[in-house]
Amino acid sequence: MRLILTSLFFICLFGCNKSQTEDVINFDEEASQESGGTLTNAMIGEPNNLIAMIAGDGASSAIAGQIFNSLLKYDENLEFEGDLAESWEVSKDYKTIRFNLKTKKKWSDDHPITCKDVLFTWKAVTHPDTRTPYGSDYQLVSSAECVNDYQFIAKYNEPYAPALETWASLHILPEHLLKNEDINNTYFSLNPVGSNYYALDSWVTGQQLKLKANPNAIHGKPLIDNKVSRIIPDLSSQFMELIAGNIDLMSINPIQYSRVFPNRSELNNKINLYKEMGNGYTYFGFNLNKKPFDDINIRKAISYAIDRQEIIDGVLLGLGEEITSPYKPGTYWENKNIKKLSFNPQKAKELLEKSGYHLNNNIYEKDGIPLSFEILTNQNKQREMTAVLIQRRLQDIGIDVSIRVIEWASFVNRFIKTGEFQAVVLGWSLSLDPDQYSIWHSSQQGPGQFNFIGYSNKRVDDLLEKGRQELNKEKRKAIYDEFSAILYEDQPIVYLYAGYGLSAIHKKIKGVKKLSPPAGIYHNDYEWFVPTKFRRNEMSL
Amino acid sequence: MLIGISLISFFIMHLAPGDITSNESAFNPKASEESRQKLREMYNLDKPIIVQYGLWLKRIAKLDFGHSFASHQRPVLWQEKDKNGNIKPGLIQKALPITLLINLLTIFLIFSISIVLGTIAAIRKNKIPDRLITLFVFVGFAIPGFWLALLLMYSLGVSNQILPISGLHSIGYEQMSYVTQFIDMLKHLILPVFISCLSGLAGISLYVRNGMIEILNQDFIKTARAKGLYEKKVIFVHTLKNALLPLITILGLSIPGLIGGSVIAESIFAIPGMGKLFYDAVLMRDFPVVMGILTIGSILTLLGNLIADLSYAWADPRIRRGLSK
Amino acid sequence: MKKIIKNPLALAGLIIILLIAILALFASHLSPYDPNYIDIQSILVPPNKQHIMGTDALGRDVFSRMLHGAQISLLVGIVAVGISTLIGIILGSIAGFYRGITDTLIMRLVDVMLSIPSFFLILAVIAFLTPSIWNIMIVIGLTSWMGVTRLVRAEFLSLKERDFILAAETIGASDLRIILTHLLPNSLGPIIVSTVLGVASAVLIESGLSFLGLGVQAPTASWGNILTDGKEYIQFAWWLSLFPGLAILITVLGYNLLGEGLRDNFDQNT
Repeated sequence: MRLILTSLFFICLFGCNKSQTEDVINFDEEASQESGGTLTNAMIGEPNNLIAMIAGDGASSAIAGQIFNSLLKYDENLEFEGDLAESWEVSKDYKTIRFNLKTKKKWSDDHPITCKDVLFTWKAVTHPDTRTPYGSDYQLVSSAECVNDYQFIAKYNEPYAPALETWASLHILPEHLLKNEDINNTYFSLNPVGSNYYALDSWVTGQQLKLKANPNAIHGKPLIDNKVSRIIPDLSSQFMELIAGNIDLMSINPIQYSRVFPNRSELNNKINLYKEMGNGYTYFGFNLNKKPFDDINIRKAISYAIDRQEIIDGVLLGLGEEITSPYKPGTYWENKNIKKLSFNPQKAKELLEKSGYHLNNNIYEKDGIPLSFEILTNQNKQREMTAVLIQRRLQDIGIDVSIRVIEWASFVNRFIKTGEFQAVVLGWSLSLDPDQYSIWHSSQQGPGQFNFIGYSNKRVDDLLEKGRQELNKEKRKAIYDEFSAILYEDQPIVYLYAGYGLSAIHKKIKGVKKLSPPAGIYHNDYEWFVPTKFRRNEMSL
Repeated sequence: MLIGISLISFFIMHLAPGDITSNESAFNPKASEESRQKLREMYNLDKPIIVQYGLWLKRIAKLDFGHSFASHQRPVLWQEKDKNGNIKPGLIQKALPITLLINLLTIFLIFSISIVLGTIAAIRKNKIPDRLITLFVFVGFAIPGFWLALLLMYSLGVSNQILPISGLHSIGYEQMSYVTQFIDMLKHLILPVFISCLSGLAGISLYVRNGMIEILNQDFIKTARAKGLYEKKVIFVHTLKNALLPLITILGLSIPGLIGGSVIAESIFAIPGMGKLFYDAVLMRDFPVVMGILTIGSILTLLGNLIADLSYAWADPRIRRGLSK
Repeated sequence: MKKIIKNPLALAGLIIILLIAILALFASHLSPYDPNYIDIQSILVPPNKQHIMGTDALGRDVFSRMLHGAQISLLVGIVAVGISTLIGIILGSIAGFYRGITDTLIMRLVDVMLSIPSFFLILAVIAFLTPSIWNIMIVIGLTSWMGVTRLVRAEFLSLKERDFILAAETIGASDLRIILTHLLPNSLGPIIVSTVLGVASAVLIESGLSFLGLGVQAPTASWGNILTDGKEYIQFAWWLSLFPGLAILITVLGYNLLGEGLRDNFDQNT
């Protein structure tokens, strides 16, 4: 027994002295583009199913996005450009969209890609038996048809402005492989055939997925030949693998970005850090159906009492921004004209007193009832820390706040769906299309719907409905500018911050744009390459 | 007994708020409530609990453990072939072997090391070796596993790169020969097995120690010594054999523990075992998987108890003699 | 007691336990800072004169949080063990005293509970209930009573045949009286051992639950959550890992040493 252990130990010693060689190489050297090489990254969860319309989780969508194309996609400036479609036209009455598909393109199994595939996909996502939660956008299409092999026409009863975005998020599936399959159970979900840069090479359950470059990729073969996604559920393990050189890129948190890396020069020799605008925002939400949050003065008071910059400095170490509208800063839809509410505890107290509250033992009271409530949030470190900071500030001006952290499924079912909560710290994604109907329209307050805070404003309802039907960009902007201004005035939520996306990428991956375009640094990952001299020795032990 | 366990588990799971549809796409504004309700109906989640339990029992009776909700029809237990001959791997089928391997290695190591340590401690009772060993095994028990795991991963995996940090296979695994593959996997298992062993050493070592001490004080040992037998023979042949009898029972009783992986260790070391499977299933409210694991667990417990009783009866000469009469 | 003093390890255990108990009791007096005092200017400061154990990600003083964490860890340990011991004593006495069907039923229940790995059960329940400190204590208590039950039952079974019990029964003492005044006091040995060891277990379980995000929640400090908060940057903020890790190690060690020492003590007696 001991003999085996000792011999294993020696085998280890000889087999794994990678680190010495890595320290000697200078990764900053320039290199010219070449194809080949492998990029390794990590995921915290395993994909369930690579048919994105059926899978609900992020890991599945991330991998599926490498394998499949949609009709449209976003270019680096977040404008639409053709993916499977060569071009498209929207009719004058805004009720018909005609897509002209790229011709002579093939699936990775060499079968030609035609309009049949688009039609099939649309039928699948709208079919009542398909187990997908995403059907409703596509059900708005009153009729869809293929004029010929390369023209797809979608007709709507009403103009639907977010339509183009919906066609940028539907992965087109191969009809010839799925037409006789039950899409909910098909083996295809574990072994897909796509048209995008990569195809699935192997999948070791629970451990890793390997993608290889697809020679039939409709935009041309990517430069990096192989992508390996290792499944590593624990973020501290992931970070260690990054430092050890076993994975090449990772999203890191503000502390790793600002404190760990600056202190370790040997890391900065191997790894580049990137900072870009993130994709979501965090907010403090009121349950507008519960007193005292139905009083706008109370909401405004709480908003004045919260020091947003302190939260950004404390939770994000300064790596984030305040926002005033639910759109990505730096994009067209962002409303830059809204005047921010400052951090002003004095004003907060004045508002409270104006509403009839007075201090009693350091807590504000009205009619004998103290101003006290519970903040709920889910198991997310940043949200927890944010709640702690909010609690402190509110306590300072005389509001008593407690915090409860709840596991996600319980959170959604026991508190959100039932409306049994007072305040939450949660997040939404920063949408690319300005439509915010499902979150703010007064008709969306049913259990399981997204207007769970109970917001209702007639003017906002009108604007949201109009915005969905207005396809002229400038007019749309005016509508949504007014929408976000009213929203900010009403303060149904307090926008807390939009954090930056922080990535650590090994220097051997060349071609990453240092200055992130609006679409993010991952946008051109098909152009990244690994110079031969930097490639990990993949054949050895 | 099985019914009891399954009933309790089923009800506990369903007491929990939420179901599979609340997790996925719950907060994705693109997913509508109607679609989610449709999904619920498809999974029979809208029927009363008793009906769901009945449906489940009926299927279990046919050894059909069903399909996982979360991974969209991946079979819970064993792989299935669909009409085109494609094989969909079963969830438990994939997770169990690695957990079994780790647990078997752990148990083997715990028993071997404990017997040695316990014996030494018993022989040198109350002297320095005994004290040191006791201290050592207790420290092993007291160290929070994940803390030690992170420390070791860092010092052995990052700073010095002696051992792999996480996962089961290194990059380039497919190109390795069978022997190298095997060694590679063992390398990856060194840390997880070590961490698992450490906490189990205390219990068994002390058990061996106390058992040995008790026997060493007994008359028949004094007789053996008086007869002038070599001390070594006294210890190993007579004492140890008797002290080890109860260990067989313990071994039998640890069989159910074989299938329960440690969620924490598996999460840190990125090992796709039963612990992680169970934990994820609970959080996703993936009932078929949860029930499947608990059912197999209870079957193994019953089996373990049976084996423990039988082997004790076989091993103890007194009982054996009694039976043959 | 004499045996404990003679046994250096058990003595060390006792001293450790007393020390930590004192630190926990006087945590508020001994803490240089309010454990929840956030100081954005001092995020992740290494140990220095102002903060002898450094600060955490929100600038809170780690030493103060450790002292209050001691309170929490011990509270969780003691209450959880209290609950499990109480249940164990009740069920064990009933099973051991009345035998027959009651005994079989109770032991069956014990078997069922034992066959579900307890960590899984705790996990499942905590995931559903919200992880407050009370729920954690109750759940750990509800899933650890099986050992005590068996011990108490075993003691009762062996004691029941003794003369002094038969004497009490002949006199006509009520069942409850026999249990409370005669059987239980003589079974205390193993119960005390199990209690002491149980506290150690509970402290470890709490730290494990914190790792999974299901332990004591923010902003309350516990050793488990200080450790977990710092795990993604242990290479940099080593103080967030070292101190709570050592604290858990030493506390659990102390309880185990004492417990085993007591066990030796009681074993010698019987």
